[in-house]
Amino acid sequence: MDGPRATLLVGAALRCYPARWRRRHGDEAAELAVLLIRDGKPAAAVAWSYLAGAAREWLTPRPGRRLSTAAWALLAAACSLGVSAALVTSAGPARAASTSQARGHVHCSPAPPGFLTRMVPAQGNSLVIVRKAGHDQPC
Amino acid sequence: MAASGRDGKAGRDVLRTVGEASVLVLISLADRSRHGYALIQDIKEFAGVELGPGTLYGALDRLERLGLIEPLPAEDRRHPYRITAPGAAALRVHLDSLERVSAAGRLRLQLGGI
Repeated sequence: MDGPRATLLVGAALRCYPARWRRRHGDEAAELAVLLIRDGKPAAAVAWSYLAGAAREWLTPRPGRRLSTAAWALLAAACSLGVSAALVTSAGPARAASTSQARGHVHCSPAPPGFLTRMVPAQGNSLVIVRKAGHDQPC
Repeated sequence: MAASGRDGKAGRDVLRTVGEASVLVLISLADRSRHGYALIQDIKEFAGVELGPGTLYGALDRLERLGLIEPLPAEDRRHPYRITAPGAAALRVHLDSLERVSAAGRLRLQLGGI
C-alpha cells in the first residue's frame, strides 16, 4: 500500500477513538504508525489494531462518559436476552414434564426398568425426568 | 482507580487481571523509561511478541489508571513512560507468582515422567 493511502487508512482508524484519547495520544499514535509501516508492518494491520483499540476504548467504563454507559447497557441487554432465550429453550420441555432433582432423601420406591425416561443436565446438576402413569408428580 | 502501593507490599497480585500486554509493557519499563515505538521494539526483542499499536495504548492507559506507570514530559510528539514504585512492587509480586506456578508445573511434569 502506498504512503498516502496507508496514512488515510490509519487516520480513519485513529478518528474512531474518543476525542479525549486523540488529544492525548493522536499525534504520537500517527507517528508510531508511520514508523511501524516503515519497518514493514502492513498498514492494514496497524489500522486494524487501532480500530480494535478504539472499540475497547469506547467500551471501557469511564466516569462521565454516557456512550460507554449506553454501550454497556446494550451489551448487558444483549447478554440477558441471550441467557433468557437459552433458558426458555432449555427449560421448555423440562417444564412440560414433571421434574425433580435426584436427591438422596427422596422417598420413592425403586423404579422399574424403563421408568426413567431421560436425564437432562441443567446448570451442572443431573435433572431426572420421571413420568409415571396416573402419578405425574415430582417424586 | 489507582492501585495503592499497599497492594504490592501486601502481596496481592494486581497484575493478574490486566492482561499479558500490560505485564510486558511493565517489564519493558522496569529498567528505564520508554516511549511507544521503543516499547514495541523492546517487547519484540525480549518476549518475541509484536504488540499492535492499539493494544499498546490500551495497556499504557490501563497501567496509568492503576498508577503503575506515569507519563514523562513529551519529547517532540513522543510521550515516554516510566514505572512507578507501586508498579515495580506489583511487577515483583506478579513475577514471584509466575515463578511459583512455573516451578509447580515443572515439578509435576517431572513427577509425571512426561
